[in-house]
Order: sequence, then C-alpha cells, then structure tokens
Amino acid sequence: MIWSIAWKNIWRNRVRSLVVIFAVMIGVFSGVFLVGFMTGWINQRIHDALHYEISHVQIHNPDYLLNEEMQFTITNYKKVEDFISATPGIQSFAPRVKVFGMAQSDWASSGLIIKGIDPERERTVTDIHKKIIAGEYFEDEKGLPAMILGSKAAEDLKLLNYEITEEKLGSFDVNLKKKLQSLSGKRYRTRKEFEIALKNVLGLEYNKKDMYNLINHFAFYRLRAKLTVTLQNSKGELVFETFRLKGIFDTSNDMFDGITAFVRAGELKKALNIKETDYHEIALLAKSRNDAVTVASILKEKLPEQNVMSWKEISPDLSYYNDFMKILDFIYVGIFLLALSFGIINTMLMAVLERVKEIGMLMAIGMNKVKVFIMIMFESVMLTFTGAFVGMLISGILIYHLGKTGINLSMWAQGLEAIGYASIIYPAISFDIYIGVTLLVIITGILSSIWPARKALQLNPVEALRTE
Amino acid sequence: MNVIDIRNVVKIYNDSEVRVIAINGVSLKVEEGEFMAIVGPSGSGKTTLLNLIGGLDKPTEGEIMIGGINICNLKGSKLIDFRLHNIGFVFQSYNLIPVLTARENVEFIMQMQKVPFKIREKRTIELLEAVGLGDRIDSRPSKLSGGQQQRVAVARALASKPKFILADEPTANLDSKSAENLLDIMLKLNQDENITFVFSTHDARVMKKARRVITIEDGKIINDEKRG
Ligand SMILES: Nc1ncnc2c1ncn2[C@@H]1O[C@H](COP(=O)(O)OP(=O)(O)OP(=O)(O)O)[C@@H](O)[C@H]1O
Ligand SMILES: [Mg+2]
Repeated sequence: MIWSIAWKNIWRNRVRSLVVIFAVMIGVFSGVFLVGFMTGWINQRIHDALHYEISHVQIHNPDYLLNEEMQFTITNYKKVEDFISATPGIQSFAPRVKVFGMAQSDWASSGLIIKGIDPERERTVTDIHKKIIAGEYFEDEKGLPAMILGSKAAEDLKLLNYEITEEKLGSFDVNLKKKLQSLSGKRYRTRKEFEIALKNVLGLEYNKKDMYNLINHFAFYRLRAKLTVTLQNSKGELVFETFRLKGIFDTSNDMFDGITAFVRAGELKKALNIKETDYHEIALLAKSRNDAVTVASILKEKLPEQNVMSWKEISPDLSYYNDFMKILDFIYVGIFLLALSFGIINTMLMAVLERVKEIGMLMAIGMNKVKVFIMIMFESVMLTFTGAFVGMLISGILIYHLGKTGINLSMWAQGLEAIGYASIIYPAISFDIYIGVTLLVIITGILSSIWPARKALQLNPVEALRTE
Repeated sequence: MNVIDIRNVVKIYNDSEVRVIAINGVSLKVEEGEFMAIVGPSGSGKTTLLNLIGGLDKPTEGEIMIGGINICNLKGSKLIDFRLHNIGFVFQSYNLIPVLTARENVEFIMQMQKVPFKIREKRTIELLEAVGLGDRIDSRPSKLSGGQQQRVAVARALASKPKFILADEPTANLDSKSAENLLDIMLKLNQDENITFVFSTHDARVMKKARRVITIEDGKIINDEKRG
C-alpha cells in the first residue's frame, strides 16, 4: 500500500517529477556512456600499443637493454626458443634483430630503429601487415632488399610527395581544375611547400578543411625509392646497406611511425655480419593481455640469464592510463551524483512541504514515523529508479551498438594521433561498472531522501493541522 | 463504562512571552454510546480539549484516561499506535489522501492495523454504504463534494473500530444542508451501532442534534447539559 501511495504521490506534480526522472536519466546515461567511452578509448590505446609495438612479453639479453649494442644477442637462442614453445599460455612469438641506423633518401636523412624480422612469424605477433597504407607487406621481392617504413618516417625522409596529376584531377569542377592545372607537372617534397603553392593559386581564404583534404588528395608515397642505411657491423665498422621502399604502415601513433622500419632479418644479419641464430629480441603474445604477467613470470624463472618483461613493465604508463582513467571516471560520476542529490533533496523537500497538512493528518490518525519515513523514501527511490532504469537502458543499447560500429573521431584525429590515440573509438563497459554506476545512482537517491524524510518526521500533527 | 475520563486537566501554552491557559482545570467523563457536542466561543479551548483527548497533545497537569489507560504516559510510537487502534479522527479538512480513492482511503487505516484483505474489503464497502457513498467508492476526494469527503472521513474513522470518534468542527466547511446530513449519518451510527461521538461545533443546528452539550469558556466547563 505504501508503495502504491508513494508511486501515486510522485504523479501529483507530473512536470516536476518528469523533470527529475529526466535529469536522472540523462545523468545515468552520460555517466555510463562516458565511462564506456573512456574504457573503449583506453582499450584501443592499449590494444594498439600491444599489437603494433610492444606485444605482451619481450625477451632480451640483459646487456642489450643496458646499451643497445648489436653484439648483445640472446644467448643460446635455440634453447630459449624451445623453452618458449614448451611453455603453456603462449599464443605466438617472433624473434627480431633490432638495430639503430641512419637512413638516407635522395632528399633527407633520419634516424631509424630497424627491426629485422621473419615476416611470416612477425604476422602472428604484430598487426603491422594490417596497417599498410601504401605499397605492400613483405612478399617474395626481387632485387634490392625490401623495407617497410612508418608513415611519419617516410614523411621525414621526404618520401611523401605531392603532385597534381590529370588523373587525380578527374572529377573536380572546371573552375578549380583550371586553377590547379597551373601547378601540374611539378613535384613538391614537403607538405608546407605544396600548401604554399596551393594557397598562391586558390587564395588565402580557401577553407582550411578543404585545403587539408586537397593536400591529402594529391599526396603519394615514393614507393620503390632507394634508402641507404648506415649501420655499424659486428666488427665495429660502418657499413651501408641499400633497401627499396616496399610499403608504408601507419599505426596512428606518430611516435612509433616516425622511427620504425622493418626489413627481413636475414638481410640485416648479412649486413651486420652476425650469425644466423643471433637475435636481439623475442616478442610474444600470451593467450590474453592479462595472462601476459603470468607468462612473463614463468619465463623469468625458466630463463634466468635473459631479461623477460611483461607489457606492464615495458610500458608502465599504459597501465597507469588505465588507473588514471578510473580515477577520472570516479571524479566525474562523483560530481554528477552530487548534482543529482541536490536535485532530489530539493524536489523531495518541496514535496514534503506541500503536504504538511496531509502528513500531519496521517500521523494524527495513527501512521507511525517508520511508515511516514518509508513513504517519503519510496517516493524518491522510485523517482530515481525510473530515471536510472531508462538511462541505463539507453546507454546500454548505445554502447552496445557503438561498440560494434565505433565512434569516428577523425575530425580531431590529427592531434590525437600525435599522442598515440587511434581515431575510431569502440566504447565498452564491463557489466560490473554498468551495474555499479546504476547502484550508485540509486544509493544517492536513497541518501538524498533522508533529509526530506526526516523533515516530514519532525512535523507535529497538531501544528500541521492547525494552520489554515 | 467511561471511555473517556479526564481529571483536573490544565493546558498552558507557554511559548514566547505570552502565557495562555487554554484549559483550566477540566474534569469530564464520557460514557460509551454518548453523542456529545463541545461548544463555546472562539478561543475557548475546544480544539485544545479535543487534541488532549485524542492524544495529539499533552496536558500540563492532570490525567487523561482512555479505556482505563492514562495516555499521558504513552510516548512516541506507542502513542501513535494507541491512536491508531483506539481513536477515530475527523478533522475540519484535509482528512483524506488526495491520490487515493474513497475506498482506498478507508482501507488504508485498516491496512496499517494489519487487518486481513478479505475482511478489509468487505468492511470498507459496508462503511461507505453506511455513510451513503455506496455509489462513489472509487472516486478520488477531488471528485467528491465537501460533505461527501467528510462522510468518507467518518467511514475512515469508523474503519479502525475505535473506542470513540473525535471530530473537531466537522461541519465548519459545509453548507447547512450537508452539515445536517453529516450529523444525521453520525447520529444514526450512534443509535444503530452505539458508536461514541465527541465533536465540537459553532453551529446551533448541529448543537441541537447532540444528546449532551458541554459548554466551555476560557478553558473551563461552564455548563454540562444532557438531553433525552
Ligand atoms: N500552540 C499554541 N500556542 C499558544 N497558544 C495556543 C496554541 N494553541 C491554542 N492556543 C490558544 O489557546 C486558546 C484556545 O485555543 P483553541 O484553538 O483550543 O480554541 P477553540 O475553542 O478551538 O477556538 P475556535 O472556535 O476558534 O476553533 C486560544 O487562546 C489560543 O490562542
Ligand atoms: Mg478550534
């Protein structure tokens, strides 16, 4: 009965109650959705870092980590490989030769970390092959050894050029075409140069976003260009090795893309004059991200002469991100709950003060304080619960949907990529957080109603009934 | 047997500077089955007296025995429960819960008393029929006239099977016809069911129906008249 009275009381002031329900709904929705968005974002960031860059576990010769000189290869590589193969919980692993080299194109030079890999094994550990934006991944090449280069490094080496060609002008409108044609036939080696040239013919006031797209439209990578890399071999001599640019990858992390190149391990070893079984690094994937720590500790024990690190040790900031975001979530949810509780206190106080006489009458005829208290509590709980339920439903559906399709942030992606974030976010939320946020809202509803409910208890029935 | 037995009751309001002696040494016995009016000029202490009898207020001095129990010694939820089970109230206005229908308002008090559903349902309809509202049981108070609302309040007061019903100016907001009608219903309940009524009024026509009239002035009983 008290339930139904409370529910009916809510609808005495329909508009006010709807406003509160709506506010709770928006609050739950934005709370759950924001947490989901953040989680998706961080997951993406961690996923990318693990699958393009660091993998779950890395193994090195401890001396290699101290000073990255190429003679510090993994000792007893065959034995290590056998150990890894026999360790449960490991999905795949790939060995690499890794050296620093100075790369030179015909127009510029840039320092690179060159990873010598077995392309087929590398595929099982990193997803670079899925991120080729120009040219192709390793495949039976002929002639010069092949190199796959990060997009940012290619740009630094002036291998990202700009040229207006008839073919690319194809469907442009006549007016624009005419203006652009005046620049055709000339090759620009930097973005800046090309932009200045474009501004000259199009006028300064040309829309920024269109300009950005226009520049990208005429950009192309100088695939098949020759790159000479200066390396130090095992005898300490400088050697030069020439590669042909075969493909460009773009992982959305400029820091990584600006400094990384892949070549075949065999060819790099020949240039460095090191043995067929010499490797600097083994990258491996465990069955899952969370298994990585366990796998790492098993390997640490089995391979005492090697340095074994899980991703959390390699990149502590990645796990900090996680924690940091959780704190942000709490702060946000906290602020929202505070606002919510003010709203509920206000509404319920009004509801109590409007009904002084009625509550006084109920107490006079014999409704005890517990029942009065419960009645007021029920009202705010139902108010909050209705809003929370709807908000939860909407945000759940939206997160589920967007978790599949992703949220495209490419409008702002330039800045994001520079700090290592991908531009498509797949919101995700764990069930416990979903329920947690909702419970917090309901608890807030209950706590906020305590004050107004106590206010009702303080009423003296005689006084309440006296005043006209 | 006395359902109400008041002995030397004094009620002094002492708030702020003013000291008001609202009830000044009242003793009164009411027997089961009485139909009693309390009359007197405005400010004479009628409401105060009824509130004291109803356990809504505490006397400064004296004893108030209801069914042999001194309610001055009851506190908090014990007192509220005592009211629920022993006293029926009809106020001048704001008697009903506006979101509930007539039936639900009557049923509500029995629910608080934990009367089983079947009994509750039957009794509710009987009571509403007894006050002449058999055809309006599912109307909300806002759809009823003032007189009808007061009749629902009487039915609600009866529902808890109290020892007596207290009504402070139950007809004050009613036109004379509705007032008379309400009194007739109360009187009939008194005669047929032996329900004890104690009510205050200003209205001479209401007064005439009472079988005992107590007149108070300045907090004192100055006349106690019994009729036929
Ligand atoms: N809470 C209070 N504080 C101070 N004085 C009060 C209080 N309640 C009542 N009084 C005073 O007590 C006296 C009796 O008041 P009471 O309300 O009982 O009169 P009444 O006979 O019911 O009058 P009316 O016919 O106008 O309803 C009055 O002088 C009133 O001012
Ligand atoms: Mg009065």
